[in-house]
Amino acid sequence: MILGDFGTSYCKFLDLDAPEAQPTIIATRELPRETRVDLATGHNGKRFACRYVNELIALARGGEAMIQEKDYVLLDCGSRDIKFIKYQNGKLADMGWNAECGASMGFTIELLERYYELDYAHLRVPEQTFSVTCGVLGMSDIFDAVISGVPVAEAVARFVKGIAINAYRFAGSPAKLYLSGGLCDNPLFVGSFPCQVTPLGRFVLLRGLEAEARQPRPPAIA
Amino acid sequence: MALDPASSAATLSRFRKIGIIGIPPLAVIRAANDHGLVIHDLDEPLVREDLETASPFLPKVYCAILRTAVVNALHLELDAIYIDTGPGKCDGALHTATILAETLPIPVICTRNTDTAGFGFPLCQARLPLIARMQAITAGVKSAAPYSNPPPSCVPTAGFWGVPPRDFSILELFPDTTHIHGWTRCMENKTPADHDLEAEFNPEAPTVFFAQSFCAKTALARYLAKKHPHALYLDVDVHTTSSARAKVQAFLELSGVRP
Repeated sequence: MILGDFGTSYCKFLDLDAPEAQPTIIATRELPRETRVDLATGHNGKRFACRYVNELIALARGGEAMIQEKDYVLLDCGSRDIKFIKYQNGKLADMGWNAECGASMGFTIELLERYYELDYAHLRVPEQTFSVTCGVLGMSDIFDAVISGVPVAEAVARFVKGIAINAYRFAGSPAKLYLSGGLCDNPLFVGSFPCQVTPLGRFVLLRGLEAEARQPRPPAIA
Repeated sequence: MALDPASSAATLSRFRKIGIIGIPPLAVIRAANDHGLVIHDLDEPLVREDLETASPFLPKVYCAILRTAVVNALHLELDAIYIDTGPGKCDGALHTATILAETLPIPVICTRNTDTAGFGFPLCQARLPLIARMQAITAGVKSAAPYSNPPPSCVPTAGFWGVPPRDFSILELFPDTTHIHGWTRCMENKTPADHDLEAEFNPEAPTVFFAQSFCAKTALARYLAKKHPHALYLDVDVHTTSSARAKVQAFLELSGVRP
């Protein structure tokens, strides 16, 4: 059984029938059109599979599989959106999915790194931050800061920190959170959160699909 | 034009076709029924016109229900509009009434519905598709007749709290055993200003607290959702977004609610 997490910028796959198989990743723009999987999630997923699990459910199931605590907040920062699941006493307590006002944050972070030829691994977390609620609108702050004499790297770092703080507040400002998504590999982003962060990597939704696949449940209400 | 319920009802004999916004007092609806008037509920999408045609009169960032009402009022041939601006509606309706009164060549009559005689809310507690029940409840505002043959109530497995949404498609996701709370329950009970009834919820049933974006009731919805032990607060504007659908779907499934 092949699982697929079809994200905006990257698609992740796992073949459950291949022993010791590791997840694979491919840029969405390079995804062959004829791709088919058995179980999919992600906003592009419905086009590539006959069975689809919505992203919040996949995130929650992934959290259940990977986090041993009963109380936690799991935040997923993707290219296009941010979403979180909060569990208390092992039960769902809150959730959120910001696909509009949180739009394109991850996408913009990656875009800026390439455009300005930066390496986030070598940028320190800045003291100051921008008030960022949207990746696209937040870019104006960068341009304004650069015009006023702030170095590009510092301006971008403030932007990234602003995005992290916005995501943190969206998740309810927890003292500790688990982080999911490709931004787990961005030390500037992870270090910008004003709380304890445990990165879980970019395959949390795949783990959620795996849990769904191994323990079939009645179909979702739809 | 603001009239008391008796005066509002008395003016009705001059009309054949009226529009209502919100829930005018029962005396008005009863008089309209007695005179055989056609009643259009302007809160619902009735004409195939772009919502943007309301933008010269109301801000784009405004309650989608009132923007819909303005679009209907602009495009339907009506003899008068009765708009409730009392405690069972909102300030938004009051300001909309002012704008419509200046814009339209027909009387725009403001009412204050303070009816307290409850008709009951059997549809809110019945085991039937949620969309069908919501349609029946909203259609019910055009009639003053008491309910006949009410369906039996069921044990709830989920709750929907709030106003009838502009886009009913969000209701498809709920099981038939969903109980309806909030202002919709007040609608069926024909007591739209009963704030105590509006604030009731069932803490035993996972409940979605719904409000239209930019509606004052978003504050109440979120406040009650925080008090409820197992709730999802949700606000939706004109159309149900895919993320709103996904949130409801995930909330119900992760709460163990089955169709």
